[in-house]
Amino acid sequence: MVIIGGLKIGAIYALAAIGLVVIHKATKTVNFAHGGLVMLGAFAAYLIVVELNWPYWLAYVLIPILIGIVATVLEITILRPLRRADLFIVIVATIFLGIALSETFRLAQNTEMLAVPAAIKGPPMMLELGEDLVIITREQIWVCLGALAVGVIGLVVFRYGAAGRSMRAMAANVRGAQLCGYSVNRVYAIAWFVGGALAGLAGVFAAPSHGVSPELAISVITAAFVAAVIGGFDSLLGAIIGGLLLGLAETLSAAYVSSAMKSAVSFLLLFVVLLWRPEGLFPEAKGRDV
Amino acid sequence: MFDRLRRNRAFRNLAPAATVVLALLAGLAVDGYGQFVLSLTVSAIVIGAALTMLVGYARCITLATGAMMALGAYGSTLLVIKLGVPYLLAVLCAGIIGGIGGFLLAVPGVRFRGHNLAMVTLVFQAVVVILLREWRDVTGGAEGLNVPPPTAFGVTLTDDYAVLVLNVAVCALVLIPLAVLLNGAFGKNLRAVTGNEVGARAFGINVERHLIAAFTASSAFIAVAAALNAPRYRIIDPDSYGVLVSIFTLAYPIVGGMQSIWGGVLGGGILSILPELLRPVADFIELFFCILVIATLMFFPGGIVELLSRAFRLDRKGASEAAGAEETRSAGSAATGLPSLAASSGSTVTPGSASAPAALITQRVRKRYGALQAVDDVSIEVAAGSLHGLMGPNGAGKTTLFNAISGFTPADSGRIECFGEDITAAPVEARIAIGVTRTFQNVAVFPKLTCLDNVIIGLGANGIWNTFARSFDESVNGRRSAKEREAARWALAAVGINGKAEVPAGTLSLGDQRRLEMARAIVSRPRLIFLDEPVSGVGRQEAELLKELLQHINIELGVTMLIVEHNIKFLVDVCDTLSVMSSGRIVAEGKPGDVIALAEVRQVYFGEKKAAP
Repeated sequence: MVIIGGLKIGAIYALAAIGLVVIHKATKTVNFAHGGLVMLGAFAAYLIVVELNWPYWLAYVLIPILIGIVATVLEITILRPLRRADLFIVIVATIFLGIALSETFRLAQNTEMLAVPAAIKGPPMMLELGEDLVIITREQIWVCLGALAVGVIGLVVFRYGAAGRSMRAMAANVRGAQLCGYSVNRVYAIAWFVGGALAGLAGVFAAPSHGVSPELAISVITAAFVAAVIGGFDSLLGAIIGGLLLGLAETLSAAYVSSAMKSAVSFLLLFVVLLWRPEGLFPEAKGRDV
Repeated sequence: MFDRLRRNRAFRNLAPAATVVLALLAGLAVDGYGQFVLSLTVSAIVIGAALTMLVGYARCITLATGAMMALGAYGSTLLVIKLGVPYLLAVLCAGIIGGIGGFLLAVPGVRFRGHNLAMVTLVFQAVVVILLREWRDVTGGAEGLNVPPPTAFGVTLTDDYAVLVLNVAVCALVLIPLAVLLNGAFGKNLRAVTGNEVGARAFGINVERHLIAAFTASSAFIAVAAALNAPRYRIIDPDSYGVLVSIFTLAYPIVGGMQSIWGGVLGGGILSILPELLRPVADFIELFFCILVIATLMFFPGGIVELLSRAFRLDRKGASEAAGAEETRSAGSAATGLPSLAASSGSTVTPGSASAPAALITQRVRKRYGALQAVDDVSIEVAAGSLHGLMGPNGAGKTTLFNAISGFTPADSGRIECFGEDITAAPVEARIAIGVTRTFQNVAVFPKLTCLDNVIIGLGANGIWNTFARSFDESVNGRRSAKEREAARWALAAVGINGKAEVPAGTLSLGDQRRLEMARAIVSRPRLIFLDEPVSGVGRQEAELLKELLQHINIELGVTMLIVEHNIKFLVDVCDTLSVMSSGRIVAEGKPGDVIALAEVRQVYFGEKKAAP
C-alpha cells in the first residue's frame, strides 16, 4: 500500500520533472517557476471541477492547453527579452516569476487550501497478500497509469517527433540548429508550451491528493528538481525514473522513520547524487568518440 | 593628485557606513515604531551589501540567506540565554557561526554554478529550517525562542532609540570591512573571475577558493545583521527565516544594482522600508516585490544605482571631460614612440648568453584525447632571449602543447623545464614566481575592471589570504598597493596604452585589448611569455604595431617568447627560430626562412606535393 502510494506521488513528480527537463533541454534554463505552473494547473482543476461543475475529462483536456499557453506567454513576454542579457538573469527571473504566480493565487483565493475531489470514484480494491490486506484506491491506479502514460508519450514524441528533433538540435548547438532553418524563438516557445502543458497535467493529477495551496508550488519545484537531477537533468526517461524513486523514498521514509524525514530524504538524495554522480544516474551520452 | 586619490578611496570605504549613521538623524524625527523599523532597515542594508558580494560580484544565486540569518539569530540568542554570553560578544560570535555555515555550504556548493548552485543553497536552507523545527530541546521547535532584550556593557536597552543607536553603531562598523573587501582586491578578483574565468586562473586566482571566501564572508555579515535583529522580533521561529525570506532578500542587490556596494545598501534600505509605506495594501506587497524585481531585470538592469547615476550624469560629465583631456595628453606622449623600458626595469636577463640555461625545454611530452594522440613525443628547446615561433595546420596539436606547458591541461607524460626548474606539475602561482606568464588566443581581459586593475591582477599575488591582505592594504593606501599601481602604470606605458589606465577594459578596441594582455603578461617582469595567436583578428597595420611591440619587449626586457600563430608572415618576420608541428609531432625546426622553404613543411602546410626525384 505504501509502495502504491509512493508510486502515485512519484508519478506526479515524474510528470513535473519531465516538463522541467523539456524546457531545460531546449533552452538551457531551469524554470524555477515550474512549481507555480503546477499549482496553477491544480487551481484550474479546482475551478473546472468544483466551481463550474464541468465533467472531469474536460479538465484533462483544457488545462494542459491553458497552462501551456500561460508558459508560452511568460517565455515570450518576459524571458525572451531577458535572454539577451545572460542566463543568470533568466534564472533569477524565473525564481521571482514562481513566487509571483503563487502570490497571485493567494490573493485571488483567500483560503489556505482548496480541496478537489478524486477523478475516479468507486470502492477501493482489496488485495490479500498473505496476512496483510492491501487497499488500493482506484484514484491511485488512475494517477499512476495516467501520469506514466503521458510521460511515456512525451518520451516517444521527443525522441521521434519533429518538434522533439528541433529541440534536441537546439540543445546540441544553437547556431547549428539556426543554420539548419530552426527558429530559436519558435523552438523555445514550443518547449515552454510543452513544458507548461506537462506542468498543468501534473497539477490536475496532484490536485485531489495534495489540495491546492501556494505551498504546492515550492514542494513541487524542489521535488521535480530533485527527480530531474537524479535522472541526469537532460534525460526524460531519467526524470521519470527519478520521480518514481523519489516518490517511493519519501513515502517509505515517512511511513517507517518520521514525517520530518520525508522532506529531508529528498534533499539527502539530491545531495548524494550531486556530489557522487553530478551527471545523474541516467546521463544522456555526451562524450564523443574521436 | 595623490591626496585626491587617498580622499577618494577613504570616501568609498567609509561612505556606506556614514549612510547608515544618517538613520540616527531620521530616528529623531519618528516615533518609537519608526525607530523600530529603522533598526531593521540598517540590518537590511548590511544584508543587502553582503549579498552584493555574493550575487552581484561573484554572481552566485543564493537561496540560503534565510538560513544564514537563522544561524546568526538562533546562535546569538542561544549563547545569551544558555551560556550567559554578553549580548555584543554573542553578536560577534553569530558572525563566526554564520561564516562557518557559509563555508560548509560553499565547500561542496562551488563545484556547481548557475541553477545547480542555486539548488544546493536551497537544500541548505531547507535542512537548516528542518533542524530548527525538529531539534526542539535547543531551538524550541516550531514555537521558537523568546529573545531577551539587548544589553550593552551590562546595561539592558529597552528604549527604542537606544537600540537603534546600538544597531547603527554595529552596522556601521560592519559595513567598513565589507566595503574594503568589495572595493579592494577581493572584489576586483571576484569580478575578474566572473568576467573571464580562464584569464583569472592564468594569473593565479583560485576560482573555487574565491567563491568559498565570498560565501563565508557574506554569510558572516548576514548572520551579524540577523543577530542584531533578533531581540527586535522578541520571538524568533523557523518561519521567520524560511525560503521566502531568502528569495525576498535576493531582491535587495538586484533592485538596488549589482555593480557596487551601493546597490545592496540602497536596495536593502529601500525594500525594507517599502512594506511600511505600503501598509494600506500590505496584502499585495509580495506580489509587488516580484513585479518590481522582474521589471528591474527587464528595464533597468543596473538597478536603482544606475538610475540615480544617470540622473546625476550632468554632474559627472564635467569631471569626465577633465579626465578626458588628461588622457589625450598622455596618449600623445605614448604615440611619439615606445618608451625605453630598460631604465625602469632593473635587472634583466642578458639575452642569448651562452651559459644561461634554456628558457624552456620539453622532453617527450605526450597528451592523448580518446583515440587521438594530440601531442606525440614533443621535445623542443627554446633558447633564453629568443623569439621562438610555433606553427602548424589546424589540429596539429599546437594549442594542446601550449596548454600543457602553460599548465592548463597537464600532459600525460614527459617533462617540462623552465630556466632549469622542473615545472611539469607546478601550479600557476609557482609559474609566475619562476617568471612564466601567457596571453590568450581569444583575449581574456576582465571587461568590467579598469585597465590598471587588469594589469595589477597580472602581478599574480592572488592567493586568497594575499587578496584579503591586499584589500586592506589598498584601503589605507599602503606601500604595497602604491607599488602595485606603479608597476601597472609602467606596464601600461610599456605597451603604449597608459592613457587608458582608468578605462574599463571591455571598452577597448581588440588591438588595445591585445596590448592590455601584453601589459598584464609583462607586469610581473617575467622571463618567458607564451603568446597564443597574438595577432589573430587584428588588422594588418595593428599587427605591424604589435610586432614592433613584441620585438621591443624582447630586446629591452630580455624576455623570451614562445609564439603560436597562424599568420606565417608575422612569424617569419618576428621570430629567431621556428618550429613546425603536424599531427602532434615536430616536423621541422630552424631559422624561419630555411624552415618554410623545406619541402616537408610546404607539404604539410600548403599541400604542395614533393617534386618527383
